[in-house]
Amino acid sequence: MLQILEITFRGEAMEKFILSARDLVIKFRLRGKVLTAIRGVSLDIYEGESLAIVGESGSGKSVFTKSFMGLLDKNGWIDSGSIIYGGMDLAKFKEERDWLKIRGKEIAMVFQEPMTALNPLKTIGKQVKEAVELHQGLRGKEAKEEVIKILDDVGIRDPERRYNQYPHEFSGGMRQRVVIAIAIACRPKILICDEPTTALDVTIQAQILNLLKDLKEKYKLTTIYITHDLGVVANVADRVAVMYAGDIIEIGKTEEIFYNGQHPYTWALLSSLPQLGKKGEPLYTIQGTPPNLFQEIKGDAFAPRNPKALEIDFIHSPPYFQVSPTHKAKTWLLDPRAPHVEPPEAIKKMRKRWKEI
Amino acid sequence: MFNYIIKRFFQSLITLMVVITIVFALLRLMPEEGYFGEGYEKLDEQQREAILTQMGLRDPLHKQLLDFYKQLLRGDLGKSIIYRPKVDISIILNDKIPYSLRFGLSAMALSLLIGLPLGILMALNHRGFWDKLGTAYIVFINAVPAAIYYLFIQVYVTGIFKIPMLYSESNPLSWILPTISMSLGSTASYAMWMRRYMLDEMNKDYVKLAKAKGLSGPRIMLSHVLRNAFVPMVQYLPSAILYTIAGSIYIESLYSIPGMGGLLVTAIQRQDNTLVQALVLIYSSIGIFGLFLGDILMALLDPRIKLSKKAGAR
Repeated sequence: MLQILEITFRGEAMEKFILSARDLVIKFRLRGKVLTAIRGVSLDIYEGESLAIVGESGSGKSVFTKSFMGLLDKNGWIDSGSIIYGGMDLAKFKEERDWLKIRGKEIAMVFQEPMTALNPLKTIGKQVKEAVELHQGLRGKEAKEEVIKILDDVGIRDPERRYNQYPHEFSGGMRQRVVIAIAIACRPKILICDEPTTALDVTIQAQILNLLKDLKEKYKLTTIYITHDLGVVANVADRVAVMYAGDIIEIGKTEEIFYNGQHPYTWALLSSLPQLGKKGEPLYTIQGTPPNLFQEIKGDAFAPRNPKALEIDFIHSPPYFQVSPTHKAKTWLLDPRAPHVEPPEAIKKMRKRWKEI
Repeated sequence: MFNYIIKRFFQSLITLMVVITIVFALLRLMPEEGYFGEGYEKLDEQQREAILTQMGLRDPLHKQLLDFYKQLLRGDLGKSIIYRPKVDISIILNDKIPYSLRFGLSAMALSLLIGLPLGILMALNHRGFWDKLGTAYIVFINAVPAAIYYLFIQVYVTGIFKIPMLYSESNPLSWILPTISMSLGSTASYAMWMRRYMLDEMNKDYVKLAKAKGLSGPRIMLSHVLRNAFVPMVQYLPSAILYTIAGSIYIESLYSIPGMGGLLVTAIQRQDNTLVQALVLIYSSIGIFGLFLGDILMALLDPRIKLSKKAGAR
């Protein structure tokens, strides 16, 4: 199975996939109705890369990655598709016991809310130690030394003293470092960062991102960032996947998405970046609301909010069109038969810069 | 920590003094016949004045208050006037408290032993069969007047199991039913609060993190959820233990147990002023002391509580 997945379609040197999701469908039961949160997503994650998944709230980016660790809420389930990791299909896991082999040890997660993510009644040392004991098999003094080393690694000064302190004695940024320390202490292969900087103030955000970048090198991690902050993406990601209404509508190298985005939703997302707006003009906003996931979506999910949508966008859902060996997008605009649609001003400017590079 | 305890202790002391003073003041407003006992009608005005003066009740108020405090400091609660004339109140209490304590404490142990595990089971089985069964029990206990099921138990269970209907010192079999009846209500409330605190904790973010780091479900429950859910419970335990001294009016009269239950009511009805004064003081100091102990236990268990020093977050 793994051999098949290792077939390169990047056209470059063969790189190994560490995790492959295939046609993943995730559903939730809510108030007696069934909602399809993830609509047949396929994604290959290369070993050692840093991938960012962007999209607005409710686009399913968080649910998608939570399914890699069996952390879906009780009312959610994987309806079909597969998640191949280390020769196992995680989508087939049913029991908690199976997931214990994956959680922490193979895939770890850094959460969004550092203020509440730690147990307020346990010292941070103990909370990191739990992970060290569980996944590194160390005990007693050795475990404590390892914890202190990790705390030092994540940039907590005076770790011996901090070891015995409680979460309320730490600021938000420092707590996020502790949360990261817990994830690192598990010695995972994949680190999922679910909006790691959203709850932090701007000066701290940059510090945390730099820390995550350093740790990725040091511990040879594959990192997945979930974010709606495109600034974060530009800073940390090798590749970007754009999610909309439970599907990845465009994926490519970070430069390709920023300078040569193809999907109208990617355009809209980029146009609403303040950095790309014109001074004195109101900032671009995307009209309308995301589609209702309780109903089946026909055609391109973004079409109703896209003023320049084609007729076919409302009827047939577009397949992936390859833009470059590393870049593909799900939009009919890339079909040879499609009429020419002018991208917004901001995108045109970016494309000009792209050509210059 | 030490500073916190000292501070909390002096706060309790001040509260207690305020209570003593208020009780003292209220009792001076009561009709004076409560100080005379039997044969009040036969006394003429002068004899009455003589008795009151002899008891110190014609002294200026501030002197009376001071005397009262001095008396309390010596551990002297005064003498009963009407209930058991000229008997030291401490002797009356000594006779009664052991009964109430025996039944109160064993009922409490029983309800903790059943109520806490029931609450935990209900939380783990959230919305399942056990949760529903437990909720039905809690609703029943809270909705039906206690007198009804107390009577029911006394009348039917004694009949079925041939257990004596009334309490007797020599027959331990007769102690069972009062204990069980007394524990029914507190079992329900322990289960209710335990379930609620457990569910509160189970939905917190740190449980998600504990799960994501690979801890097994039982381990998360034991070392994270259960411990944290106990903390708010612990605050009320000292008060609950201390209040068993007060006894249960209904159960004690139902099974004729010679305990504290009903003593306050009787004292008030018969206008035994000194006895009322002593009982109100005891009950309120129990309350204050219980809260004091609860707060200290909380502070020991929850590192966030350190009122004496501002916790420095960096």
